[in-house]
Amino acid sequence: MSVEVAREAAWPRVRPRRRVPGWLWATPVYAFLLLFVVYPLIRLLAEAVTDEAGRLSLTYLAQFAGDPFYRKALVNSLWVAGGTVLGCLALGLPAAFLLVRYDFPGRELWSYLTVLPIVMPPLVGIMGLVFVLGRAGTVNVLLMDYLGLARPVNFLYGWHGVLLAMVLHYFPLVTLNVVDALTKVDASLEEAAEAMGSRGLRRVRDITLPLLTPGLVSGATLVFILSFADFATPLVVGMQDLLAAQAYLNIVQFVDRRLFRMGLVVGALMSLLAIGFLLVARRAVAMREYAVVSYRAVERRPLRGAWRLIAPALFATALGLAFLPHLGLLLAAFGKAWSLTPLPTRFTLEHFDQVLHLTPTYVVNSLRWGAVAVALILVLGVSIGWMLARTSLPGRELVDSVVTLVLALPGTAVGIAYLRAFHAPLAGITLTRSWFVMPLVLAVRRMPYTVRATFASLLTVHPAMEEAAASVGASSLRTFLDVSLPLIWRGVVAGALFSLLFALQEAAATILLVLPGWETITVGIFTFYTSGTFGQAAALGVVLVTLSAAILYAIYRLTGARLGGLFGSGGG
Amino acid sequence: MRRARPWWILALLTVAAVGALLPAWPSRAQQPIENRLVIITPVARTVTEPTVAAFREFARRRYNVDVQVTVVSAGTPVAYGRIREWGGRPEADIFWGGEPALFDDLAERKLLAPVELPESVLREIPASIGTPKPVLLKDPRGFWVGCCLTPYGLVYHPRLLRRVGLQTLREWDDLLDCRLKGQIAQATPDRSSSNHATYEVILQLYGWQKGWEWAQRLGANTGIFVARSRDVPTVVAKGEFAVGFAVPAYMAFEDLLSGYELRYVHPTAAFVTPEPLAVLAGARNPRAAREFIQFALSEEGQKTMMARGQYGISPKYRMEGPPGSPLARMAEFTGIKSFFEKPVRNVYDDDVAQKRYSEVNEVFRKLIVERHGELKRRFCP
Repeated sequence: MSVEVAREAAWPRVRPRRRVPGWLWATPVYAFLLLFVVYPLIRLLAEAVTDEAGRLSLTYLAQFAGDPFYRKALVNSLWVAGGTVLGCLALGLPAAFLLVRYDFPGRELWSYLTVLPIVMPPLVGIMGLVFVLGRAGTVNVLLMDYLGLARPVNFLYGWHGVLLAMVLHYFPLVTLNVVDALTKVDASLEEAAEAMGSRGLRRVRDITLPLLTPGLVSGATLVFILSFADFATPLVVGMQDLLAAQAYLNIVQFVDRRLFRMGLVVGALMSLLAIGFLLVARRAVAMREYAVVSYRAVERRPLRGAWRLIAPALFATALGLAFLPHLGLLLAAFGKAWSLTPLPTRFTLEHFDQVLHLTPTYVVNSLRWGAVAVALILVLGVSIGWMLARTSLPGRELVDSVVTLVLALPGTAVGIAYLRAFHAPLAGITLTRSWFVMPLVLAVRRMPYTVRATFASLLTVHPAMEEAAASVGASSLRTFLDVSLPLIWRGVVAGALFSLLFALQEAAATILLVLPGWETITVGIFTFYTSGTFGQAAALGVVLVTLSAAILYAIYRLTGARLGGLFGSGGG
Repeated sequence: MRRARPWWILALLTVAAVGALLPAWPSRAQQPIENRLVIITPVARTVTEPTVAAFREFARRRYNVDVQVTVVSAGTPVAYGRIREWGGRPEADIFWGGEPALFDDLAERKLLAPVELPESVLREIPASIGTPKPVLLKDPRGFWVGCCLTPYGLVYHPRLLRRVGLQTLREWDDLLDCRLKGQIAQATPDRSSSNHATYEVILQLYGWQKGWEWAQRLGANTGIFVARSRDVPTVVAKGEFAVGFAVPAYMAFEDLLSGYELRYVHPTAAFVTPEPLAVLAGARNPRAAREFIQFALSEEGQKTMMARGQYGISPKYRMEGPPGSPLARMAEFTGIKSFFEKPVRNVYDDDVAQKRYSEVNEVFRKLIVERHGELKRRFCP
C-alpha cells in the first residue's frame, strides 16, 4: 500500500489544495484603487501646474500665491476649521463622558439622537437653520414683533454663523469617536491609578486622557477636514473668501477660463492640505499601539441630585440647537409663501406632491446609484478589509493609506479630479458621459466605512478559527464563507449601511459630475434651492433626513450604538 | 442549505443591481422626430416645465411621438461652460436663455448648429428693439433666435422696505440710500452673467469712473453676496434681505404668484434679453430640438410662457388678460405690457462688454468684495 493511498484512507476529505496566489485576487483591488483614486488625484495635482494648452506652467500657482485674496481665503479656511474643532470638542467631549460614564433619565434615547444631526448634507442643514435663525427667521421675527427690536439680530451672516452652523452639525463626530474610545478604557487601569493615589482630575490627566487620545484625534481630524471642505454652509451665509467656496464657485462657472484654472489650483491645494492634516494626525496617534484586546468596561455611575436633571437638560439644549435645522426644514416643507412671520401662515402638501409624485426622479436615482454603489463597495470593501486584517500581501500599508486618504479628500476636489481625469475616452468608454460614474464616485468616496467595519469585525475573530477550518481542508473561500462571514456579517452590513447612508448625503462630487437624467436627492435639493423653490428643496430635505434616520436606526440596532469606530479617520 | 446562502444572496444582489440599472439604457427608434430631447437652460423651471409639458402634448398630437424631455437647470455661465467642455459632442440638444453674447461666442466656436426655421416664423420676429443701442431679437447669421423678452431689474420686499423707512424704489440711485445698509443682496458679476450685464449697464450709463463709485456705494449697503443671481429673489421673498438685482421671470414672478409679497422695478436702461434658443452642434436629437424651438415660437408656446412671466417675442402678443389672470398680474408687477409700443432705452453695448469681461470681474473683486468692510464704514457709517 502506497503512502498516498494510506493518506487517502486516513483523512478521506483532507486533500492538499492548490491555493490561489494572493497577488492574483489582490491585483484587481490594486488596479481599482490606482485607477479610481490615485490616478485622478495625480491628474488633479498635475492640472494645477498646467496651462490651458496643456503645457507645464507655474503661472496659475504663482497667481494664487501672489493674490492676497486667495492667501486670505487659505488663512480664513484654517481658522474656520480650527474654530469648528474647538467648538465641537467643547460640546462633544462632555456629551461623550456623560453618555459613557453616567446613568441618567433618557440616556439611551440621547445617545441615539446625538448621532442624528450629522446625517444631513451641510446645504440642507444651513438652509433649515436660516428658516429659524435667519434675519427673517422665526426667532428674529418674534424678537422684532413682540419685543420691539428695530433690527434683526445677526445670528448667521458672518464667521460666527459659519462656526455655529458647523459646530452644531459636526460635533457628533467628536462624541462618537470619544464614546468609542471611552468604552474601551479598562476599568482596572483607572482603579490601579486610584490605588496609587491618582484621583479626580489627576486620574483623568494620567490615565483617561492619554487613552482617549486616538479617539479624540481621529474625531478632531475628521471635523477639521470636513469643515475645511464644506462649501455650502459659508456660501448660504454669504462668506465666499474660503478655499472650499472658491474651489466650488470657480469650477461651476466656465465663462472666465482664468477663474476656472484657479478653481483647479484651489482644488489641488485642498487635496494636498487634506493629505497633510492626515499625516499630522497619524503622527499624533502613532503611539496608539496600546490597543486593548480585552477589557472590562468602567461601570456607569448613576448621577445624583441636581445632576440627574442637569445632564438631560444639557442634552436637551445642545440637541435642541442641533435640531433647529430639522425644525426649519419641516416648517418650510409644509409652509406656503412663508415670509416675515414666526411660523408659516398657510400650509400645503404641494411640495411633497412635486418631489415624490410628479418628479420622483431624484429619489429613484438616489436609491439606484446607492444600490449599485453598495454592491461595488461590498465586493471591494470586504476584500480590502480582509486583505488588511488577514494577509501579508505587499503594499498592504499603502492600500490602507489610500483608503484613509479617500476619507480625507474633499468631495469638490474628487469631483474636479474625475471631471479632468475621465473626460477623455478610456478603453473606449468616456466615463464622465456614462451613468456609471455616479455610483462609481459614490462607491469610491464611501468605501472606507465598509473597509473599516470589515477590518474591525475581523479583528474580533481569532484567526485560530479560520486556521482550524483550513486544517480540515477548507479552501480559503470556503473558510471565509463558512467561518468568518457568519461571525462578521453584522459588522459588514453595518459598514455597508453606513456607506449607503453617506452615499445618500453626497453632494459635492456628484453635483459636479451629474448629467441630465442622473440627478440625485441632494442634486435635486440644490436645483430646487437655486431655482428659488425652497418648499420643494425642503420637502426633498425631509425625505432625505427620514431615509437617513431609518438607515441609522438599522445600524444602531445591528451594532448596539458602537458607531464610533466607523467614523474614525485614523488608520484601521 | 446554510452553505449555499452567501451564493444566493450574491445572486439576488446581482439581479437587484441589474434590475435597478435596466431603465438607464435609453431606447431609440426611427420616428419623424426623436423621442428624446435634452434642454440645458438657466430659465426658471416654472417657465420650462409648462412649456415642455405643452410641447410633449403637441408632439403627441402632431407626430404621435412621446418625447422624453429632460431639462437641465444650470446658471448661464455653467450652461455655457458645460457646452464648451462637451466640445461638439454635447449631452444636450438645446441651449435656452441668458445673454445673446454667449450664444454669439458659442456660434463662433462652431458649437451651435443653424436653427433652420421656416421663413414664415422668422418674419414675425422683429430684428431688434431699443435705442441708442439695438438689442437683437434673432441672430442675423441664423444660429439663435429669441424665444421671448425678459427684462432685468430690481426686486424688493415692500413690508421690509417700509420697516427701514422707505416707501418705494424707482431708480438705480435709490439703492444707495443709507437706510438700506445691510439690506441689499447681490451676486458678484463673475458668478452671474445677468448681474454682469446689469453692472455693464451701470458702467456704460454712468461711465467707468462714476460707475465704479456707484458700485462701491452699493457695496457699502450690501448685506450678502449670494452665490448665484437666482438666490436674490429667494432671499428677498423670504424677507432675509430687502432689495436685490433680479430677473422677474426667474422666480420673482413665481414667488409673487405663490403668495409672497414682492415688487419689481425696471430702472432706466435696465437690460432686456431675448432669451435665445439654439440647437447645439452635434446634438443627438436635432429634429426634436428644432421642433421644440418652432413650438416655442408658435402662438401656443408664446402664450404658455407669457403666463409664466416671459414677454412675447413678437408685437402680436401683449401682456394682457382678465383681472387676476397671470398675464394681468405680470403686467401689474412690472408695469410693462409690451416692449414694442414705447421706445426701449438700451445703452448696453455687447462689444464693449465682451472686451473687458474679465477686467470688470477683477475690478469688482478688488474694489468691492475685498474692501467690503471698509466701504461700509466709508459710505454709511
